[in-house]
Amino acid sequence: MILQYVIHLIASMIGTIAFSILFYVPKKQYLYCGLTGAIGWIIYCALNDLGFSLAFSNFIATLVLTVFSRAMAIIRKTPITVFLVPGIFPLVPGAGIYYTAYYIFMNNPQQAGVKALETVTVAGAITLGILIGSIRLSPNPNHRTNIS
Amino acid sequence: MKSVILSSKKMEEILKSNKESEEMNHDAEINETGILALTTLAGELLLKNGSEIFRVQDTILRILDACGCTNRHVYVLSNAIFISLNEGMDDPCTAIRYVPLGTVNLSRIAEINEISRGLCEGRFTRDEAMRKLEKCKKPWSGNPLFMTIACGIGAGSFSILFGGGFAEGFVSFFIGFFLQVMLIGLQRTQIPPYLIKILVSIFIPLGAFLPLAAGFSLAFDKIVIGSIIPLVPGYVFTTSIRDFFNSDYLSGIIHLIDSILTAVCIAVGVGLAIVLIQRLGGGIYL
Repeated sequence: MILQYVIHLIASMIGTIAFSILFYVPKKQYLYCGLTGAIGWIIYCALNDLGFSLAFSNFIATLVLTVFSRAMAIIRKTPITVFLVPGIFPLVPGAGIYYTAYYIFMNNPQQAGVKALETVTVAGAITLGILIGSIRLSPNPNHRTNIS
Repeated sequence: MKSVILSSKKMEEILKSNKESEEMNHDAEINETGILALTTLAGELLLKNGSEIFRVQDTILRILDACGCTNRHVYVLSNAIFISLNEGMDDPCTAIRYVPLGTVNLSRIAEINEISRGLCEGRFTRDEAMRKLEKCKKPWSGNPLFMTIACGIGAGSFSILFGGGFAEGFVSFFIGFFLQVMLIGLQRTQIPPYLIKILVSIFIPLGAFLPLAAGFSLAFDKIVIGSIIPLVPGYVFTTSIRDFFNSDYLSGIIHLIDSILTAVCIAVGVGLAIVLIQRLGGGIYL
């Protein structure tokens, strides 16, 4: 079991860094992007293994991942997008899309519906995680309004 | 009365700095269009490279604040920018830009962010900032070999993450590699982007089918799932929901439709390939 987690840790780091390259992330941030993706995935895996629902696991994983990205953005003096975009890659519901398509084309609308709902649920959980993770606890001194 | 005796060098410095600030004020007065050009370019480049609406709007406002333009109105959509300065005054000016959805380039976003920071903190002059921004306009596609290998490694790692073994990861590496080759090649043609996504999505299960047909027993679905991850519009979808929560409904809809269409294209492509495999293989494989 530990071995499985280690493999997942390494694979998620490598995978996230690989996709960071595809998004033209600056080279010196690669490692931190990998860390972000790995943290998100490991938390998701752990919560899932503990028996929590798909939605909850994704939500908490994305929440922690967003907070971590914010910390990284401050420490590395880079926009948060640089860490957030590659970081959520391990969590996006690619499997959901595949299975939905599979069941539709195999004429199994019930299973297709189940998988489609799963996909949407995961997408929603991820979004909610990012939203809650982006909440500022103190008022933003730099907030600019259109009206001056 | 106290008199201050200054060395001639100090006198020179004072005169020079007075002249410079005079020039700058002169510049500021007559160069509203220059400021507008600068801030519009910054916003446009940010948007083109996939930044969030909030960041584009914030950057534009920051630059305008730093240049002293208090009479301004800014509206940013996912694919358009509207800025008007000095309404109701002697020299109003407006800028409108249409910015088609492009690929995300996070280095550029970081760079433009840095340029706007430098300008607002006074480290760059307006001309310097403009020159740096002009340099960011050049299209940048990165080293193709590097990109294709990265796509392959990504696809392989994700197949393993989603439950495949090293064998599945190995196959996914090659599929991911050729996937990126296809994407780069097809993007140079005139084929519409959504059709490209469908074509590429048809290729993925077919590619995964080859080792199965050769006799290896592999988890077909894990290979395909890992390999479609580069196409899945995860970030665009989450950005759209975030836009909704920021009351940027129109921008949100633009991104939402884009991500839904992409997901549908992937599903259609993958589904067609699966049906093809089923017919060809006589139902053995799938």
